[in-house]
Amino acid sequence: MAGDRRPDTTKTAMFLRILFKSLKVRKNRVFITFFSIMIGASIITALASVYFDISAKMSRELRAYGANFFVGPSSSGGERSVESATIAKAIGMVPPDKLAGATPYSYGVVRLDLGNAVLAGVDFMGLRRLSPYWQVEGKWITVDFDEESCMIGKTLAKKMELKVGDSVNVISNEIGFQKTLTVKGIAETGQAEDEQIFVNLPLAEKILGSGGRVNHAMLSIVTDGTDVDGLAARMQKELPGVDAKPIRKLSYSEGRILEKIKGLMAIIAVIILTVTTLCVMTTLITVVSERTREIGLMKAIGAEDREIVLQFLAETMIIGLAGVAAGLVAGFALAQLLGHAVFGSAITFRMIVLPMTLVPSILASLLAAALPVRMAVGIVPAKVLKED
Amino acid sequence: MAKKIVLETKGLTKRFGSVTPLDSINMQVREGEWVAIMGPSGSGKTTMLNLLSCLDAPSAGEYILDGVATATLTEKQRVAVRREKIGLIFQQFHLVPYLTALENVMLAQYYHSMIDSKDAEQALAHVGLGHRTGHLPSQLSGGEQQRVCIARALINQPAIILADEPTGNLDEANEEVVLDLFKGLHREGRTIILVTHNPELAEFSDRVVRLQHGRVVHDESAH
Repeated sequence: MAGDRRPDTTKTAMFLRILFKSLKVRKNRVFITFFSIMIGASIITALASVYFDISAKMSRELRAYGANFFVGPSSSGGERSVESATIAKAIGMVPPDKLAGATPYSYGVVRLDLGNAVLAGVDFMGLRRLSPYWQVEGKWITVDFDEESCMIGKTLAKKMELKVGDSVNVISNEIGFQKTLTVKGIAETGQAEDEQIFVNLPLAEKILGSGGRVNHAMLSIVTDGTDVDGLAARMQKELPGVDAKPIRKLSYSEGRILEKIKGLMAIIAVIILTVTTLCVMTTLITVVSERTREIGLMKAIGAEDREIVLQFLAETMIIGLAGVAAGLVAGFALAQLLGHAVFGSAITFRMIVLPMTLVPSILASLLAAALPVRMAVGIVPAKVLKED
Repeated sequence: MAKKIVLETKGLTKRFGSVTPLDSINMQVREGEWVAIMGPSGSGKTTMLNLLSCLDAPSAGEYILDGVATATLTEKQRVAVRREKIGLIFQQFHLVPYLTALENVMLAQYYHSMIDSKDAEQALAHVGLGHRTGHLPSQLSGGEQQRVCIARALINQPAIILADEPTGNLDEANEEVVLDLFKGLHREGRTIILVTHNPELAEFSDRVVRLQHGRVVHDESAH
C-alpha cells in the first residue's frame, strides 16, 4: 500500500485540516487566547495612534496657557521699544501653522477719572488667541479699527467703579490727548493685566504718542516640531536690535509634560504586552497539558519535533493574527474615543501603527508559545501513552 | 528455506538507576512470525515493548530491526525507524479525537510520506470499517476504535506490528473480532509481536516468550 501510493491530498492540505480541526475542537481556549491578544493589540493600537497625535494635540492644548515666546528690544542697545514693522516681521517669521496667537504691546501710564493706570495697546485678535484663558465679562473687541472702545482689567474696573457699557475718560499725562471710551469688556486674567486698560494699537499710539513703536510682542507658538531656539536665533540674526527668546518655563514644561505622557504610554504598553503574554502562555500550557496524549501519539507514529513545533506555532500564529486584526480595528475605535474625550478631535490613522501593533503582538504570542512548545516537544510517548 | 530474521536482540538491557527491568534479552523473530510476549506485572513486558518499538533506547545490548541497528540511534533517527518500520497498536487505541476514522489513518500516511485517501479507505475496509470512515472516535465503539488503530498501524506496510494488550479494553464480542483480524494478518504473512496477559490471544501465536524479573524464562513454539 505504502509503495504504490498515489497521493490525492497534499501534505499542506492535511496539515491545514489537522490545524483547523484542532482549533475548532478547542473553541473556548482559542477564544481566550484570541481575546487576550485582541485586547493587548487594541490597547497598543490605541496608545500608538494617540502617541503620534499627542505631540501636536497636546501642544495645541497647552497653548491655551498663554504666550511662550517673547520679542522685544535688544537689552544691549539700551532701547525700551522697537519699531512696529520689525515686530511684524518677527511674527511673520513664525510658520503660520505653528503660530497659535501673537500681539504687540505698547505700554504707557494714563490718567482715568479716579486715578492713574497702565494703558496697553494691543492687537485684540491676536490677544484673544494668545490668552484664551481670560474670563471676559461683556465682549472682546473684535476689530482693529475700533477707537471708541476699551477693555479693562477686573481689579482696575472695581477700583474705578466701572461696569460694562460705562464710559471712561482716558487722558494722556505726557501729550494731553483725551478720549472718552466705552467699556466693552471686563477681563479677569489672574495676572498683572487685571490692573490695566486695553485699547487697539492705533488708538494707543495716539494716546501715548509712541510714534510707531511698541514695547514688545508676546507669541504663542506650537512647540511640537518647532525649533524655538533656532527660530529665536534667526530672528536676532535677521532683525538687528531685536531680542527674541522662548519663555523657558513654559516651553520646557510643555516638553517635559509630553515626554512624561509618552513615557507613561510606553510603560502601559509594556505592561499590557506582559499581561497578554502571560495570559496566552497560561492558556497554551493548559492546551499542551490537555493534548499530552495526542502529541505523544503523533510522536509515536512518526512525527518529528519540528512537526510538533510547526503545528503549535501555526495554531498560535492563526489565533495571533486574527487577534491582532481584530485588535487593530478595536484599537483604532478606542483611539477615536480617547481623541474625542481628551482633545475633542479625531485621531489620525497612521500606517506606522500597523507594524507597531503587529510586531510586538506577534512577538508576544511567539514568546508566550515558547514554553508550551518546549513542553510539547519534551513529551515522552512511551510514558504518556501508557498512562490510564 | 528459513525466512529472514526481521528482528534480533543481543543482550538487550534497560536500566533505570540501580533497577534493571530488562536484563540481557536475546531474541530473534523471523518474517511472518507471530510472537506473544507474556509475563506477570513488573516482568519487563512494557519496557521490552518500548525498546522494540524504538520509543526508548536500551542501556546496553543490540537491537537490529529489518537490517537497521537501532540501539545507538539518536531520538530523531528512532522516530524515522518508528515511522518507516513499525506499526503500533495500543491497549487504549489512542486515536486523535477531532479527526475522523479516515483522517486518523491518513495521519500515519502524513507523517510517513504521502497521503492517499483511497489507500486509507481500503485499509479501513480491510478491518471492516469501510462504512465508518467519516465517524469521529467518539462515535465508534471500543472495538471499532481498535480496528481503526489496526488500520493505521498497517497503512505504511511496516516490517513488524507491535501490539500492546490489543484486546485489554474490549468486551468479549469485540475481542473476538480483533483476534480474527490478527489471525488474518498472520495469514497474510505479517510479522506480529504482541504483549498480552490473555492466554487465549497467545494461543494463536507461533511462539510464546515468557518474561520474569526482566529475563526470558520461556521461549518456545506455542503449538
